Amino acid sequence: MEHVLERGRFRNIGNIAVTSVTCVAQTVSAVAKGDQDAFSRLYADYVRLVHAIVLGRVPRRDVDDLVQEVFIAAYTRIGELRDPAAFGGWIATIARNRATDHLRQAREQVELPDELPGGDAIEAETMAVLDIVRKLPEAYRETLLMRLVEGMSGAEIAERSGLTPASVRVNLHRGMKLLREQLGADTRVSGRTHVSAR
Amino acid sequence: MSMNDYLWDPSDTPDPEVERLEQMLGRLRSTPPVPDLSTVGRSATAVRLTPAATYVGVRFVAPALAAAATIALMVGATWQTSRLGAAWQVASLTGEPRIGSRTLAGEGQLAMGQTLTTDAASSARVEVSTIGEVTIGSNSRVRLVETRDGHHRLSLDRGSLHAIIVAPPGQFIVDTPSATATDLGCSYTLHVDEDGSGLLSVEKGWVALESNGLESFVPAGASCRTDPTRGPGTPFYDDADEAFRDALDQFDYGRNPARRAAALRLVLDHRDVSAVTLWHLIPRVAAADRGAVVDALADQMAMPRGVTRDAILRLDRTALDSWWKELGLGDANWWRRWKRPTP
Repeated sequence: MEHVLERGRFRNIGNIAVTSVTCVAQTVSAVAKGDQDAFSRLYADYVRLVHAIVLGRVPRRDVDDLVQEVFIAAYTRIGELRDPAAFGGWIATIARNRATDHLRQAREQVELPDELPGGDAIEAETMAVLDIVRKLPEAYRETLLMRLVEGMSGAEIAERSGLTPASVRVNLHRGMKLLREQLGADTRVSGRTHVSAR
Repeated sequence: MSMNDYLWDPSDTPDPEVERLEQMLGRLRSTPPVPDLSTVGRSATAVRLTPAATYVGVRFVAPALAAAATIALMVGATWQTSRLGAAWQVASLTGEPRIGSRTLAGEGQLAMGQTLTTDAASSARVEVSTIGEVTIGSNSRVRLVETRDGHHRLSLDRGSLHAIIVAPPGQFIVDTPSATATDLGCSYTLHVDEDGSGLLSVEKGWVALESNGLESFVPAGASCRTDPTRGPGTPFYDDADEAFRDALDQFDYGRNPARRAAALRLVLDHRDVSAVTLWHLIPRVAAADRGAVVDALADQMAMPRGVTRDAILRLDRTALDSWWKELGLGDANWWRRWKRPTP
């Protein structure tokens, strides 16, 4: 199966994207100089990207804390970023690595259910769908979560992640197709959620 | 390859099936607060703004740069340590508490926005800046909401904490799902159940509980329940017997009017009813019952000069606060002033 997972430099996809890359570079530069307002702007722009990546990997109860840790790690290591315009791909890598470390540590601790009493009452069906998405290949999983959980458009996903718009289109299309197939086969998910395999 | 435009562009005509998934999974969306950077140190390496290709020459000066970076990191570490006073020191007392997703071994720091979680086998001690300390019990979760000069705020989502605060009133606040507890110079224990209901027990000084405009002032030796839908209940002294507490619970949180009325009669006639409890009942009872409560309180503590029965029955705030002051437990005027927004 072909996965389109392209990380790295942002591609020049037109004037809007170029402007955006310039803005990111300026913001990253300001953060590197200790500008905390710039950090808040960076956080607002990229928190959905990081949240989607982390949510695709770790239990929901730990997601918010890990998202914060990812941004703190990015802040402390921002001097290591060679090309500020590549911030999206860079922080995405930090998020993936941090989630992997967390899961490694969590294996050594007592297993807890994903939803603890007293947490938000997220329906079992929602968690079942999330469970299915989490089992999709990484490229599809992350892109679909950015779109379906975070509400990002395809263009936004491309802009923030550093993927080309073409890659995002492919990931969304193939990921959705796979998700439809998996939803059709899963007995935990009611007919209401079943979508036709088109 | 055909492409669903709505999947690419949410402003396009909705695809019902994608929209349904969006609505369902969108419930998982959350935006944690921006992390507090005031306690975070950073690598001294400067960010590079020019293309990587221009850095070919770096290899020739790499050893010198590495040495400089090492020195800079040492300086940075010293600088960071000097700034850590803004963070709250945390020490594990038993087991392995977690700060965020990291296990706390020994001591650590709790930064703004971070959570401290304990399980059944763990507990921790937190230093509240320079004004006191809080012991976090087992199966608890707290988040540091705010810490700056004169303003320190935690949220207790579940579990228990014991606070000892040595500071002017109003500097330490704890949010719970059912009420906000404001320290008025004291030590106390606060417990929050999984359903969000809580119990505050004050050992020294007093604590103000508030939710949706409903206030309870809880003095030393007294406790007060809180409920996520009804807010703070009526305070009672800890030596009150079980029947009295049950009756007060029934009055505060019962839904059957007849049972609440019977519970109120039991409270008013009970030997353990205190002036503190009666003062809090005045605005909480129906107008028809208010006179009986006022008379019961007057039996224990005469109204101060200038306060009339009519003013109390009208729930005149100044009159009520004057009567509270007569109890000798603290000045409610201070609380009123403190609650006014800072200009």
